Amino acid sequence: MPVSLADHLRALPDPELAALIALRPDLVMPVPGDISALALRAQSRLSVARTLDSLDRFTLEVLDVVRLTRTPETATTSVEAVLMLTAESRVAAGPVREALDRLRALALVYGSDPALHLVAGVDEVCSPYPAGLGRPAADLNTDAAVLVSDPTRLRRTVLAAPPAARAVLDRLADGPPVGTVAASALTDPESDSPVRWLVDHHLLVPIGVDTVELPREVSLLLRRETGPLGPLHPAPPEIEAPERQVSMVDRAGAGQAMEVARHAEALADVLAAEPAPVLRSGGVGVRELRRLARATGLDEPVAALLLEVAYAAGLLGESGGETGDAVVLPAAGFDAWRVTSLAQRWARLASGWLLMRRMPSLVGQRDDRDRLLPVLSADIERVGAPAQRREALGVLASLPPGAAPSADDVRAVLSWQAPRRVVRAAASAGHEAALAEAATLGLTGLGALTSYGRSLLAEVEAAERLDPDADPLGISAGAPPSKAVEALDALLPAPVDHVLVQADLTVVVPGPPEPGLAAELALVADAESASVYRVTADSVRRALDTGYAAADLHSLFGRRSRTPVPQALTYLVDDVSRRHGGLRAGSAGGYLRGDDEALLAEVLADRRLAALGLRRLAPTVLISPYAPNRLLAALREAGYSPVPEDATGAAVLTRPRPPRAAARPSVPSRRVDDPLAGARLTPARLAGIVEQLRRSDAAVRAASRAPAGVRSPGGTAGLTGAQAHTQAMAVLQQALREKSRVWVGYVDAHGATNSRLVRPVSMGAGYLRAEDERTEMLHTFALHRITAAVPEEASP
Amino acid sequence: MTDGPLIVQSDKTLLLEIDHPDATACRMAIAPFAELERSPEHVHTYRLTPLGLWNARAAGHDAESVVDSLLRFSRYPVPHSLLVDVAETMDRYGRLQLLNHPTHGLVLQGSDRAVLVEVAKSKKLAGMLGGKLGDDTIAVHPSERGRLKQALLKLGWPAEDLAGYVDGEAHPIDLAENGWKLRSYQREAVDSFWAGGSGVVVLPCGAGKTMVGAGAMAEAKATTLILVTNTVAGHQWRRELLARTSLTEEEIGEYSGERKEIRPVTIATYQVLTSRRGGAFTHLDLFSARDWGLVIYDEVHLLPAPIFRFTADLQARRRLGLTATLVREDGREGDVFSLIGPKRYDAPWKDIEAQGWIAPASCTEVRVTLTDEERMAYATAESEERYRMAATARTKLPVVKALVDKHAGEQVLVIGAYIDQLRQISEYLDAPVVQGSTTTKERERLFDEFRSGVLKTLVISRVGNFSIDLPEAAVAIQVSGTFGSRQEEAQRLGRVLRPKADGRQAHFYTVVSRDTIDTEYAAHRQRFLAEQGYAYSIVDADDVPSA
Repeated sequence: MPVSLADHLRALPDPELAALIALRPDLVMPVPGDISALALRAQSRLSVARTLDSLDRFTLEVLDVVRLTRTPETATTSVEAVLMLTAESRVAAGPVREALDRLRALALVYGSDPALHLVAGVDEVCSPYPAGLGRPAADLNTDAAVLVSDPTRLRRTVLAAPPAARAVLDRLADGPPVGTVAASALTDPESDSPVRWLVDHHLLVPIGVDTVELPREVSLLLRRETGPLGPLHPAPPEIEAPERQVSMVDRAGAGQAMEVARHAEALADVLAAEPAPVLRSGGVGVRELRRLARATGLDEPVAALLLEVAYAAGLLGESGGETGDAVVLPAAGFDAWRVTSLAQRWARLASGWLLMRRMPSLVGQRDDRDRLLPVLSADIERVGAPAQRREALGVLASLPPGAAPSADDVRAVLSWQAPRRVVRAAASAGHEAALAEAATLGLTGLGALTSYGRSLLAEVEAAERLDPDADPLGISAGAPPSKAVEALDALLPAPVDHVLVQADLTVVVPGPPEPGLAAELALVADAESASVYRVTADSVRRALDTGYAAADLHSLFGRRSRTPVPQALTYLVDDVSRRHGGLRAGSAGGYLRGDDEALLAEVLADRRLAALGLRRLAPTVLISPYAPNRLLAALREAGYSPVPEDATGAAVLTRPRPPRAAARPSVPSRRVDDPLAGARLTPARLAGIVEQLRRSDAAVRAASRAPAGVRSPGGTAGLTGAQAHTQAMAVLQQALREKSRVWVGYVDAHGATNSRLVRPVSMGAGYLRAEDERTEMLHTFALHRITAAVPEEASP
Repeated sequence: MTDGPLIVQSDKTLLLEIDHPDATACRMAIAPFAELERSPEHVHTYRLTPLGLWNARAAGHDAESVVDSLLRFSRYPVPHSLLVDVAETMDRYGRLQLLNHPTHGLVLQGSDRAVLVEVAKSKKLAGMLGGKLGDDTIAVHPSERGRLKQALLKLGWPAEDLAGYVDGEAHPIDLAENGWKLRSYQREAVDSFWAGGSGVVVLPCGAGKTMVGAGAMAEAKATTLILVTNTVAGHQWRRELLARTSLTEEEIGEYSGERKEIRPVTIATYQVLTSRRGGAFTHLDLFSARDWGLVIYDEVHLLPAPIFRFTADLQARRRLGLTATLVREDGREGDVFSLIGPKRYDAPWKDIEAQGWIAPASCTEVRVTLTDEERMAYATAESEERYRMAATARTKLPVVKALVDKHAGEQVLVIGAYIDQLRQISEYLDAPVVQGSTTTKERERLFDEFRSGVLKTLVISRVGNFSIDLPEAAVAIQVSGTFGSRQEEAQRLGRVLRPKADGRQAHFYTVVSRDTIDTEYAAHRQRFLAEQGYAYSIVDADDVPSA
């Protein structure tokens, strides 16, 4: 008796139901109302597809077997039937049972061993050709059905196929069992293509204009060698990867790790010096990326990768978003990070990379709207990216240490692990990018996973699995020392605290500098490469500007250098410091100068002038923060006799003058009391005025001549507006015919009532066109605005 | 972790700590593929360049051995990406080969079909390649052999030229090794050049490049065209060849502005070859005047651009380049590589000096303080006049005199760039001056006197920068120069680095005016000399004993 999935779920013990939900968390997002709803969701296309995506190739193959072995009557199968079929493909029962258990645990298959049910969604989501087999011939075409019903004839026909046709058969038998051909091959009776031959012999059945299908029975016959299911893949493909010496792998990776930590720091330093503006649409533009890459000597893709990784590790941040000109610059955590050990710095970056959702490999590609994808933007976020990275590295981790599989090998394993997912180009590109980036970041070396990379991967995964609720107060938060960091530390050179100073003024740091040394070097020398700094006049000046004295610099070099400090460097420091501060710049509001030093001394000592804040620059010059006017006033008040001077040093002597208003023109302004004196009337203007007057007058008069019926807005007495309008239309029609003149009353655009004596010319489309003989103008009246019309002769 | 002497940096520089016990072994290992960039006293900087790696490939080193050397001597883990890059770069050399096909003549053959297709499609090669002779072979127009190599180098796929050479017109030439022998490094240089067919030998000034040339001629035993920088250098070649080989006066011709002789061995100057009349080069016939078996380029780093163009047409002849440095101020190192050939021999200066062939030199910068009057004049001078003002300060005269007096009895050269100043010095020291306007005859007379020791002090202008041989100059005093060019410095240093008969120390003084732009140029000079590994010290003019 058929059991519904809902019944099955209902009957499950609580722990099993919980286990199912743990495996398929999408079933409870949001939590369904009841078990029936849960069952419905579990059979939905979306949820089933998502579940299938996580299955490995063999489990999917077993699922196909389940589909194949269903009896048409009950739509159920049995474990026995499944095992029987898989045994024909020479697969042991154990792995098949395990695969069935997996399918059951995921509720894709349920029911007892003799009556296995398949959930409804599977057929919708999976290929219609389970195990690459076509439909039975009986479902396709009677001729084919007849052929396959006679095994001997079928075999003979297959053997008789010409080689080209046989090749087509073999390809379709490997699955999928349908193929497309040129439509002419099927329709054109003259065609002698192999497909044509096969169709003619009913080995292939056309199922569309250009599509053919291989009947299941023919496939099974062709698959005699491999079994009815074709080759099954109970285990992932074997990888024959070259074995590298683990120590070499670790050293190569560690070399890369050192570079990564250094370059990330260099990028942050460049960003600190000049933060990168954030685009309005988010992210940092390509020009800015190019600048950063050039400044750090990196390729753009590597610079993009390191920017993203540093951002993910919390070393970079955005600032100034409120004002609209946001920039990317080192975040507060950067300073703490840069003083940790090299291995710790790397581990922070590498874990940031493992967990980040953005895919730096997309930077510089174009999206569907043909826009360049910028770095540090949400546009390059891909939810699956962290999983893809761990999948790709997981393959490496599953191999013995030192194994360096090719990207193709890794892809082969991944496509066994989750064939449905890896088929997609994006996933495949993601895995490839993950491997390339892992090499750049030093997680892998010489193509193999490094030992510290392996530890880091395990640590990150362990941290992910950690139940955040298990330790809500963070009591056990003292994380154990990271094995990855320890292992990498052992590989990396110890920080050095000394340098080699040479006569060409280069300073060589024979190893990664310890933070104190790095800070000192950054101040007194310019970095030429990772280990080489150069002392220049500029760098010495910079050090002097920050408060070092020449003696300090001498002792600094003497202390840090393991070799005698060259004479040239000593000379350089002395030369620069001798000139340093030789010129001083400042600002003042005004100055006092005079040849009499004693007088200036007196002024300086004068207590009444203390408020002026005078300072002696030279025996003959005093300066003050105040403007000359104030100096003059104060000095005069104190009884001195100062004289102001101009920019060229000439004395400015002025005699006091009585106050006067600003100068103004002597020509008297236009008189306002005589309005007539204003506008001069030219003859032309006068003529214009007269003409204007005449016209308006004529208009008024003409209007007054109009009959009363036309003049009043109410229309002809005794008539309603509508009746008056109808009457007016009749009058106009008649006037049009007789070409006689009429008085027309109308409402103008301003709502005023007007009238005009016109001769109608035409009427139609809601308008009356009429000529005003007096002005010789053609007027157009909207008919609905006409209130009345009276023939001229009718008017009094 | 090993404790090697080498620090490999991801910017493709190698830092070699020379006080390390393994430093010598490491230097031997990396010298074939890395170019020595700087050699100050403690840490030498080498650089990996595509050209250097290809030079190494041409000399038979493979990527494996290069990577192995780096890993073996590196103190720290080597960045993986650098190793990948090295392997990929080296792999590019020799994918394409120029061969002499028995029936089709000159062909370009690719061991990698994709590369051959890629370059065949390139627009840069248009017109150089002929028809396809097969999947892996394309015919090449013989006249385009040089230009094709240039273009391929630019595309990053340098071709290996195995098309061989014509023997040229035979002419008996032997080394006359009576009482002297080629020095061991000269022998090595000749042998590796001959084995390679064509290429460049890098030896410091004074290390006997002329002898390497003579050795190569004795191997070739064929008519030889020798291209030199100027007439004086040409005369010096002639003298050396007469003294060291079986050649006689009649067999050596001079092709210069003054004389146009074409003989079995012809020495021509760059100047005459690049002179034009009406826009056309008038002396090109020289290259086809005889069936030359060997062409020698002296001072390859100064080779003028037109000579490269002529050389492109000479690819079937053996070519030997001689130089002290592969670094060209115009950056055309790639043309030297593709047209003259890869580097065949290289010996670091300091090594040769250690072998005793070059006099050890001490470099001293003497700083003079300008008088107040001179300082004011300098301070108010136009910016383009300032260097001249500082460099030609009269205050320098007594210092130069003091230095000359200090080295009384030794051969002293005073070198400068400004004629007026040189004349002043000449009067002040009572020494003759050689300048551009001095006739060749007069020059040779003065040089002869100087060489023989009759003349103790000689003042020379920039004509002295190139290729004149003043073997016994033990002291050089530089009073002014052209803006601290590295090139000039190498040449001037070369003046005093020639081996001394008694192994005395050579002295190189530079007199500079304190706190002026002169000091800034001196800083460039100091850097260059320190990078070359010379001891450099600074003294005050007052500390020069006025003996």
